[in-house]
Amino acid sequence: MQFFFEVLIAGLLSGVMYALVALGFVLIFKASGVFNFAQGAMVFLAALTVAGLKDEFGLSLWAAIPVAMVVMIALGFLTERVVLRPLVNQHDITLFMATIGLTFFLEGLAQLVWGSNVRKLELGIEDVPFEAIMESTGMLVSQFDVVAALICGALVAVLALIFNKTKIGRALRAVADDHQAALSVGIPLQHVWGVVWAVAGIVALVAGLLWGARNGVQFALTFVALKALPVLILGGFTSVPGAIVGGLIIGASEKLAEVFIGPYVGGGIEGWFPYVLALVFLLVRPEGLFGEKIIRRI
Amino acid sequence: MSTRKIGEVILKVDNISLRFGGVKALTNISFDVREHEIRAIIGPNGAGKSSMLNVINGVYHPQEGTITFRGETRRDMDTHQAAEQGIARTFQNIALFSGMTVLDNIMTGRNLKIRSSFLEQALWIGRARREEVENRRVVEEIIDFLQLQHVRKTPVARLPYGIKKRVELARALAAEPSMLLLDEPMAGMNVEEKQDMCRFVLDTNEQFGTTIVLIEHDMGVVMDISDRVVVLDYGRKIGDGPPDVVRNDPEVIKAYLGAH
Repeated sequence: MQFFFEVLIAGLLSGVMYALVALGFVLIFKASGVFNFAQGAMVFLAALTVAGLKDEFGLSLWAAIPVAMVVMIALGFLTERVVLRPLVNQHDITLFMATIGLTFFLEGLAQLVWGSNVRKLELGIEDVPFEAIMESTGMLVSQFDVVAALICGALVAVLALIFNKTKIGRALRAVADDHQAALSVGIPLQHVWGVVWAVAGIVALVAGLLWGARNGVQFALTFVALKALPVLILGGFTSVPGAIVGGLIIGASEKLAEVFIGPYVGGGIEGWFPYVLALVFLLVRPEGLFGEKIIRRI
Repeated sequence: MSTRKIGEVILKVDNISLRFGGVKALTNISFDVREHEIRAIIGPNGAGKSSMLNVINGVYHPQEGTITFRGETRRDMDTHQAAEQGIARTFQNIALFSGMTVLDNIMTGRNLKIRSSFLEQALWIGRARREEVENRRVVEEIIDFLQLQHVRKTPVARLPYGIKKRVELARALAAEPSMLLLDEPMAGMNVEEKQDMCRFVLDTNEQFGTTIVLIEHDMGVVMDISDRVVVLDYGRKIGDGPPDVVRNDPEVIKAYLGAH
């Protein structure tokens, strides 16, 4: 039983990291209806910028992060201005294609500037078990995972504060709800979209730091985005709580499946189990756990 | 209607032409709206009424002509500028934030009145707190005025159609507009709801002195509440004047009856 909980906790904590990536998708999808394929590339670019600034320019971590943050914010506004604004009112699929283009551009840009070597990113948090927990319960819980979860929690709390209390946050929610109505009360749509992309960029930065510290800053980081897909299907594309709960479910279930079902089928099911789960989920609730119910007149 | 006084021209539309590719939505439209007036725009389906409103509040940008609002002449602007200059509107097919409560929806109408900074709002200090209290007070007054007290905390998606229309009006009023554009405020309502809405439109006009431009299909309503009427047909102006004059205009009768 103790082992079960150990796996469960490890799964939930890694799920937090998936949720973080999914959050970036949800923000943009909710506000503008664009499925941002480039979210993974943004994670990669952000992580590589921090690692590159540290390695090449000798900046400390605390100096490199703000610089990367400015880069991501500028990138967000620039994306809205250069990529999305000329395409306003086009089909969803057109916008989606544009973000695929953006993906290649960002991946290329990141490697052009910083090279394609794998870089190490030290956040100063060690990936070792918590001693206090180990002594009291005998369970091995990674210190890194717990700190990562706390950082994610703090990020979500700050986002919630901004969304609920500030003018720009309310404007954001208004735009997410109805474009036309938002325009009529004087909310500048394009500015809000710029802000959303900038916020998604900051979320990508946090995700990039945590994933980069865990797996090394390398091209494979872009595939982290693919891990977010089952999370989104499970939680719903339009729900922030959905992204979090979905992330937790995916994280926990893939680890549990790997440990408890894996041995019967020869192992290695962690990689595809979330997709199967998402597929099953699609059959039952196509809009996800918390997504907006799709009602259509026939 | 005796207490209000119709004032100077507040909005003047000059030779506006609007095309979508080869489709002429509006051709050489000119008319004016006086302060505190209720001005109706009528016409058969596809006459260009909604397009006209969309030009006034900056959703559409006309190819020709100018608009003069409170002494400022221009060709086009964006909706943000229109809202800042005091033009608020409602829509033919309700555009509300369906996920939010009635109160929150109306609060969004106060959006442009907020002056405090981002940090003050996030930390809930200084100006942010005072503004919130003030905005809330204005919103509560509007809620009382439009008799929405009983649904204050209800999510908009759950409300019946007639009430939604009223919430939309409330949100527009929350901006304390000098001019209000109403796109078919009574469409799809039953007789009772129409009567309520008529009363609210008249009360708004009378109590706040708001200038109102409205599109409406119900001729009884239009003739009862408006001071002057513009008639559009196929994007052209075919009539303009007080209800009684317009009603007897042969051109207008022809357009409505479809006689050739």
